[in-house]
Amino acid sequence: MQVDALIGSRCASQRSEAAVDIVSLNKWYGTFHVLRDVDLRVEPGQQIVICGPSGSGKSTLIRCINQLERHQRGQIFIHGCEVSPKTRALHELRRDVGMVFQHFNLFPHLTVLQNCTLALRRARGIARQEAEDVARHYLERVRIPEQMGKYPSQLSGGQQQRVAIARALCMRPKVMLFDEPTSALDPEMINEVLDVMIELARDGMTMLCVTHEMGFARKVADSIVFMDGGRIVEQAPPLEFFANPQNERTRTFLGQIL
Amino acid sequence: MKFNLAFAIESLPLILSALWTTVWVTVASCAGAALLGFLLEIARRSSRAMSYVMRFVIDFIRSTPLLVQLYFLYFVLPFYGVTLPSFVVGIMGLSIYYSGYLAEVFKAGIDGIPVGQFEAAQSLGLKRLDVVVFVIAPQMLRNIAAPMGNYFVSILKATPYLAIIAVPEMLGEAMEIASDTFRYAEPMLTVGVVFLVLAVAVAQLVRLLEMRLLKSAKR
Ligand SMILES: Nc1ncnc2c1ncn2[C@@H]1O[C@H](COP(=O)(O)OP(=O)(O)OP(=O)(O)O)[C@@H](O)[C@H]1O
Ligand SMILES: [Mg+2]
Repeated sequence: MQVDALIGSRCASQRSEAAVDIVSLNKWYGTFHVLRDVDLRVEPGQQIVICGPSGSGKSTLIRCINQLERHQRGQIFIHGCEVSPKTRALHELRRDVGMVFQHFNLFPHLTVLQNCTLALRRARGIARQEAEDVARHYLERVRIPEQMGKYPSQLSGGQQQRVAIARALCMRPKVMLFDEPTSALDPEMINEVLDVMIELARDGMTMLCVTHEMGFARKVADSIVFMDGGRIVEQAPPLEFFANPQNERTRTFLGQIL
Repeated sequence: MKFNLAFAIESLPLILSALWTTVWVTVASCAGAALLGFLLEIARRSSRAMSYVMRFVIDFIRSTPLLVQLYFLYFVLPFYGVTLPSFVVGIMGLSIYYSGYLAEVFKAGIDGIPVGQFEAAQSLGLKRLDVVVFVIAPQMLRNIAAPMGNYFVSILKATPYLAIIAVPEMLGEAMEIASDTFRYAEPMLTVGVVFLVLAVAVAQLVRLLEMRLLKSAKR
């Protein structure tokens, strides 16, 4: 919790206790209004699943949280720290926000172990030996047993994605963002990745997860967010969301994917 | 005058006496050109304004003859009180001239890296310099080892230009033999063969480097 104190003290505004607090977020790509007045609050330890049709702005929304995309209006807070295009030392904030991509994005020139230790050593300044211990711990957690010396290209898609999750976890993030982590995988590999994510959720990791894996959503989500046309159209706990969707578009969408 | 093989061989030791100069001027210039070219390319990517400035700088460097740049550094700078040893001027000249070309090669190498690599590196909270050094540069080198190697060979073959600013490299030595003996064919052939051998060696080294870089992944 020492880290929290440090980061807290760096923040100008301790606006809220939420892990992630998004307040009337608006974003445009040129003249195209991708995100329209999005409000979303994620409490520490919560798991939120975001779904919605292609092009509805799901990726854009979670990529704004670590500023891979810049927003023009509204505010985003991570544990009370505002994140905006003007934030200096963005890299320091990003260290506390893990991200897992659809296409894994492992570093192909580094071994599995080096993929996991790079940021620990360069961003957290941890010595090699210790960084490798941390990496081994998380690689074991995602069940990548004896592959640490291999290069990403020597692993299957499911293994690569689990390494990517371990790489993010090594930084001991406060929030994990997932952008369709299983949609580039062959069907038989989807479960090995979802299992790791379910465990992570059970351990109380704060997670925002864009996915269409509704079984996963049912199992772990505290709340499911449905987006359409850049808006959050509906947000409800899984039972309610599936049993009694309020919005017409949610019903259509669920009809298509279930 | 008949071609005299014995004389060609006789001229070899004198020419080889300048081998070291040629080799280390080449190595230093390759390093200088690569470093400067990389900095130019990174600077060009740093902001919109810099992209225009650096675009101009790179085009300027590439569009002026090497000899003009060398003469400028060698004869004009002293007017402004900057006097440098000729080999320093030579290395600077080759470094600057080829940095323009290498910047273009590096650009292609960086363009070939999937954008997800930058995003993954950023999302881990790496500082900009670390992203460049540990994520971008190694992947870029892997993409461009071959064209970069070609420019290294070009740099080697451009070292004779430095004869005009009195750097004691191999062509200069050959010219001296020629003007002393009035025999041109033999020393020129000898120096040509030595360059050929060096060029092949550089190409081999680059191939080794490329193989090492590619060992990690067949993407
Ligand atoms: N860099 C960009 N420039 C312009 N438009 C973009 C850019 N990135 C995304 N868009 C557009 O913004 C909209 C939202 O994109 P986004 O990737 O957030 O959708 P998504 O909900 O993640 O969709 P998918 O399910 O296909 O991943 C889309 O219409 C897309 O075409
Ligand atoms: Mg998306």
